[in-house]
Amino acid sequence: MKTIDISRRAARSLRSAKARTLLTSLAIAVGAFTITISLAAGEGARQYADKLIGSNINPQALFVVKDESIFNGSVQQAPIREYNPDATTTAAGVTIKRLTQADIDTISARDDVEYIIPTYTPDAQFMQFGSSNTKFAASVTTYDRSVLAETSSGTLPSLGVEIKDDQATVPGTFVDTLIEHGVVKNEADLIGMSVSLTATKATATPTSEAITAAFAQGGQAAVEALLRPEEKRFTFTVVGVTKKSSTALSSVNAIQISSNSAREMTEFTTQGTAEYQKYLGATVIAKQGVDPMALKDSLKESHFYAQTAKDLQGVVFTVVDTLQGIVLGFGVIALIASVFGIINTQYISVLERTREIGLMKALGMRGRSVSRLFQFEAAWIGFLGGLIGVAIAVIAGLSLNPWITETLSLGEGNAILIFVPIPIVIMVVALIVIAMLAGWFPARKAAKLDPIEALRTE
Amino acid sequence: MIEIKSVTKTYGKKQGVFTALDNVSFTIPDGASVAIVGKSGSGKSTLMHVMSGLDRADAGQVIIDGVDILKLKNKAVDSFRSDKIGFIFQAFFVQANESTYDNVALPLEIANVSPRERKSRVEEALAKVELSEKMKQKARNLSGGQKQRLAIARAIVNKPSIIFADEPTGNLDSTTGETIENLLFGLNKQDGSTLIIVTHDKDLADKCDIQIFIKDGRIESINSGEEVQS
Repeated sequence: MKTIDISRRAARSLRSAKARTLLTSLAIAVGAFTITISLAAGEGARQYADKLIGSNINPQALFVVKDESIFNGSVQQAPIREYNPDATTTAAGVTIKRLTQADIDTISARDDVEYIIPTYTPDAQFMQFGSSNTKFAASVTTYDRSVLAETSSGTLPSLGVEIKDDQATVPGTFVDTLIEHGVVKNEADLIGMSVSLTATKATATPTSEAITAAFAQGGQAAVEALLRPEEKRFTFTVVGVTKKSSTALSSVNAIQISSNSAREMTEFTTQGTAEYQKYLGATVIAKQGVDPMALKDSLKESHFYAQTAKDLQGVVFTVVDTLQGIVLGFGVIALIASVFGIINTQYISVLERTREIGLMKALGMRGRSVSRLFQFEAAWIGFLGGLIGVAIAVIAGLSLNPWITETLSLGEGNAILIFVPIPIVIMVVALIVIAMLAGWFPARKAAKLDPIEALRTE
Repeated sequence: MIEIKSVTKTYGKKQGVFTALDNVSFTIPDGASVAIVGKSGSGKSTLMHVMSGLDRADAGQVIIDGVDILKLKNKAVDSFRSDKIGFIFQAFFVQANESTYDNVALPLEIANVSPRERKSRVEEALAKVELSEKMKQKARNLSGGQKQRLAIARAIVNKPSIIFADEPTGNLDSTTGETIENLLFGLNKQDGSTLIIVTHDKDLADKCDIQIFIKDGRIESINSGEEVQS
């Protein structure tokens, strides 16, 4: 008997038992719904993450370190190491190798590197705005030209262009405090205002000869001056008030200054200490046309370790995949439950249709064809269940998307549930296969029925 | 031609052995109408099963058109039934949820006949039993006599050489039964297929060319028209 004829008969026989067919396939529909939603949510999350990374990070950017353990997460479990004067000790008591100025120069000299900015650690004691004498606790960081910043006031150069060395940006979170203290009347007043950052040089303990010499020259006042930390004021003009955009990964909650200024400030505060010109890492921008992954591999040969935008994407995707896997797991559990539903329904169907099976076998239908008839019925149930589940998931997803986007403030045009046809088709095909496997036991029972016994059944 | 030679069939094992057919032999010429007559439990149904390849005899030979079907593999027996045998049952055994057309098309589907040929053959068979107008109706909506006519159409659609009818009029009133009988004998004469009726109805048996009387698994007597004539 031809497959198409068997399949048609299977479909007709399901149609004549509509309620049972529908109820059995609804069990599968629950699993199909859950899996479709998890596929859509995973896809949506990945696309959203992609968008975030794409709009936040220059794809040519790499973060380069000297110590591989920073990336592989083994820092906490690292064994003791040989002493290295270029290394720093983290709060966890682990030694990390750092980039030296020589390393920075080496990387900077490469043909495939556009520019390199080490992670400066500018540190200011306090900051003052305009002519106000009020001192605020300062937080300063380097302006990241590889990340797109949005402003609520003022303008910033386009992506990839550095701000001028005498310019600074102020985070929007500062504005309320500044208005409260009467420094400015409104946010717009900040633009063009000066901001000064006062940095303090780390005190190096003077030698006893230096103290003796100072005392001999200027008495106690000279010694106090020698021991007093050296201070320096760095003054900038505010050019923009930054805000967090809906697609930004994180907001910067600090004054941002150019990398040259940051270096000047860092070198001032660390001069004469072991920290001077030592950097935990550096942002390297690969030249246009250079594959950042190739640069990463090439840097590895020189014992510099890098993470690219793709690697970051990988980290985010791992999290998304894990969450998606959990939801997917629930769908699979629902499917397993529905498999027993199919087996049960089909067993009953075989019992009910004993005479029909007997007749078909008497008419010369092969056991294999009888078995396929019942397996195809199961396949139709699987197909129907898959369609119902997918349809409900797509309708629910598409109608809920605007609400979800608004509730999670994902930003206009972003959807968290994205339905991609191919995985859905693969899932439906998989459901058909699973249903057929479930139908195998009842189908085998049907195939093994003795036609004489079956026809005797009254 | 059907040749049955020393066919024996037993059921059960060791102590509980029951001999349904005991050394049965006879010959049926092509195109004959034959009645296998016997009481309930006489072995007449078993004989039909063995002759049609539904069941396998333990010993002997069942030679149909020169082939011993006991020597065939199961798969070959299935296609033998599909190609050469038609069945009509007392309880009709029509598929109630299927249309008249699809009921009749089943044997053709099993025999892998092409859809185009199927259509003309089904229409032809339904015309012979005068059910052409009920083609698209569900079988459950037919009357008893119509159901049996449908079963006859299903039995003849594949142009089998042998048609087995197991108490074909047993579930029908006498008027309808007579219509069915006339139809069966008419088709037997018209198509030249061999008709084998299993029955305990003497009147029906008398209308056949040959009567084979069976009792306790043995042939009691064979009454063939030719013998009567000679």
